[in-house]
Amino acid sequence: MLTEQLLSIGVNHFLTISVILFGLGMFAVMTRKNAIVILMGVELILNAANINFLTFSKYNGGMEGVMFSLFVIVLAAAEAAIALAIVINIFKTFKTVDVSSVDTMKE
Amino acid sequence: MMHSLIQLSIAVLLLPLLSFVVLIFFNRRLPRGGDFVGVGLLGTTLAIALYIFWTVIVQHYDPAFRLAWDFTWLDFGNVPGVGPLQVKMGIVIDNLTAIMLAMVSLISFLVHLYSTGYMKGETYYGRFFAYLGIFTFSMFGIVLSDNLFSIYMFWELVGLSSYLLIGFYFHKDSAADAQKKAFLTNRVGDIGMWLGILILYSQFHTFGYQEIFAHIKNGDFHMSQAWLTAAGVLLFMGCVGKSAQFPLHVWLPDAMEGPTPVSALIHAATMVAAGVYFMARIFVLLTPEAQHVIAFIGAFTAFMSATIAITQHDIKRVLAYSTVSQLGYMVLGLGVGSYSAALFHLLTHAFFKACLFLGSGAIIHAMHHEQDMRWMGGLYKKMPWTFVTFSIATLALAGLPLTSGFLSKDAILAGALGFAQVEGGGIFYLVPVFGFAAAVMTAFYMGRQVWLVFFGESRTHLKPAEEHGHDAHAAHGHDDHGHHEVHEVSWNMRLPLVILATLSVFIVFSPDPLDGGKGWFMHLVQTPATVVASTEAAHEGAKLHAPEAGKLLAEAHTDTQHVEAAPAAHAEAASNEGEGHGPVYADPRQAEIVHMTHANHWNAIKLSSLMLIAGIGMALIVYVFRIIDPDKTAQAIRPLYLYSFNKWYWDEIYDATIIKGSMLISKILAWFDANIVDGLVNGVATVFRKFAFFNGGVDKYVVDGLVNFTAFTVQTTGAVFRKIQTGKVQTYLVMVVFAVLGWFALYFAHLVK
Repeated sequence: MLTEQLLSIGVNHFLTISVILFGLGMFAVMTRKNAIVILMGVELILNAANINFLTFSKYNGGMEGVMFSLFVIVLAAAEAAIALAIVINIFKTFKTVDVSSVDTMKE
Repeated sequence: MMHSLIQLSIAVLLLPLLSFVVLIFFNRRLPRGGDFVGVGLLGTTLAIALYIFWTVIVQHYDPAFRLAWDFTWLDFGNVPGVGPLQVKMGIVIDNLTAIMLAMVSLISFLVHLYSTGYMKGETYYGRFFAYLGIFTFSMFGIVLSDNLFSIYMFWELVGLSSYLLIGFYFHKDSAADAQKKAFLTNRVGDIGMWLGILILYSQFHTFGYQEIFAHIKNGDFHMSQAWLTAAGVLLFMGCVGKSAQFPLHVWLPDAMEGPTPVSALIHAATMVAAGVYFMARIFVLLTPEAQHVIAFIGAFTAFMSATIAITQHDIKRVLAYSTVSQLGYMVLGLGVGSYSAALFHLLTHAFFKACLFLGSGAIIHAMHHEQDMRWMGGLYKKMPWTFVTFSIATLALAGLPLTSGFLSKDAILAGALGFAQVEGGGIFYLVPVFGFAAAVMTAFYMGRQVWLVFFGESRTHLKPAEEHGHDAHAAHGHDDHGHHEVHEVSWNMRLPLVILATLSVFIVFSPDPLDGGKGWFMHLVQTPATVVASTEAAHEGAKLHAPEAGKLLAEAHTDTQHVEAAPAAHAEAASNEGEGHGPVYADPRQAEIVHMTHANHWNAIKLSSLMLIAGIGMALIVYVFRIIDPDKTAQAIRPLYLYSFNKWYWDEIYDATIIKGSMLISKILAWFDANIVDGLVNGVATVFRKFAFFNGGVDKYVVDGLVNFTAFTVQTTGAVFRKIQTGKVQTYLVMVVFAVLGWFALYFAHLVK
């Protein structure tokens, strides 16, 4: 039953998860004020994109998706490193990581 | 090679200038204001001038003596529209020059010496001597000049020094006004003189006397005779200004505001005589018509100012009008052709009038600056030296026989009588009549002056107290009613008086007390022959009087047989008249005047002695014996008295006509300037201002409006767009999401279609 159920997992399931992840990530990026939480939201979005890549790679039978997802993972690592460094610098300058209060270039 | 006399005369000319230069710059640093520099240099000048006089007059004793030297001072080459323009400077020494040099330097030296006493304690003591120096320099320049250009330059220089010295007490308004008046009045005359010089220059292209005379003699004057007359009359205008003849005589009495030594030197003896000297220099080019003008002006001036002198109270003003009157005599003498008599009077008058002025200065000095004769009196005991010298000079001025004034005045009056007869009587008798009338009045007013000043009781205490304020002698510590201790002046003021009084005695000039013609002066300075061609009228006059003249001739020389033609007869007569007496005159009119002058010699002596007795007798009757009370007489003929006392109202007349007139013209011109000229300028300015405002408006509203509108648009747009740029990543993200959703919506809308 379970196997059957497992076997019946198809493209739609993967895409559904990916959409949910993307939606959560988007929600986090759009609503949170803490820079680190926003970063985490970005990671969620990236991972949703990875799931998409891998899903289409598995069902289309090519290696391009895998390659792209590897690139994305590397990119996400690099991005996380730089973004965190930026966040630390923001904190050093403004004594906060609240992005809504970091707006001195507004006017 | 210059003659040594020329070199000496240059020294005479320049030494007073040296005195001026030294004193004007260093008078404050020199002890005693540097007066010894002025006196010493003038003493040297006097010595040199006397040496020249000795050489020329005594050693040569030649009527034709003449030395000349000149050099080209400015050479402009051939000036377009003018022709060759060369200005020469030169010196001429003849008998007249030598005499004038000696006279000017002597009087100038004496005045310098006198001023060391008179001006003692003045604030600008040194400056006074400097001014005297530049005056003496300019006067020598006039005397030595050999051309019209340089005499005009020195003419203006004496005008300047006269201006400076009249206004010596410049802090007094009256002195400042007087100096301005003198300067401006002289300017009027000088303009005429310059025009006269230009008429002659335009014809001959030279300024030299000798060249001009030679040209006229050769008939090179290409315009009509009237122009030559005009030139003579215009040159005479210079003399009218400088020698204070009517109608420009008004400045000389006011010039008495200057210090008294200045009045003696400049306004009695030398500068005012320069006009007469100048006329003598150009005498030969005067036409008969010009001579008539000169004679009448001289006669009228002599008469008019004598009438004024009778009623004046100020001791110096009486002398000033007397000077004008005597200058009138000299001018009259030149006008009637008695050249040598006029110059003789110039010389004698210089001495006795300087003596009178210096005497009045001594009186003023002793009376502590009291000038009003009404408050003098009884001075003969207190000031014997002044009294004696003043009296001698007075007698000379009145023309008493045995004095120098008699000799010269008589010669002029004889000339006037002869002139009137030659010209055919009638209106020309006015000239001698005015002359004799002036002689009566001269005797009268001088008698009045001597009596008021020296005789009677002292009237110092009669002076109204309120008039005291303006006198500068508050510091003298006067006691009750301003009565001062009067005593004789010191030696340096007495000595000039004595010398000048000595020179007023006949023996200096002529051995015969009744005939100046026998003296050295009339021998050495003879009337030069005119260079003007005789006109028809003159010929007619000569013919008209030929019989009469012939008759006189016949009487004079009973053995005469040659009475063929009038000119020849006159020439003969002139050459026979006394030994070595008188040159031969080619011009019939001139020859006749000279002849008639000699014929009238005794008439003139008789008449003028009569006039003298009448004048002095009147003075005695009125002031000494008091048979006629002067004050009551003045009341009885009050209009006449006031007319004389107010100087014929000339000042008022000039004020009402010329001064008011020029003020009116200047007001009209000022109005024209303020309204028309300024109006034009302001109108142009207003137009430009309006245009500029319009231009400014365009710039402000159109150009700036465009720029500002652009800026406004950009700003407004910016303000809208700025709202979108919140600086929050989330906002942008939301926009991106909405954009993507919108794009999807569009995409699906397309799909549905």
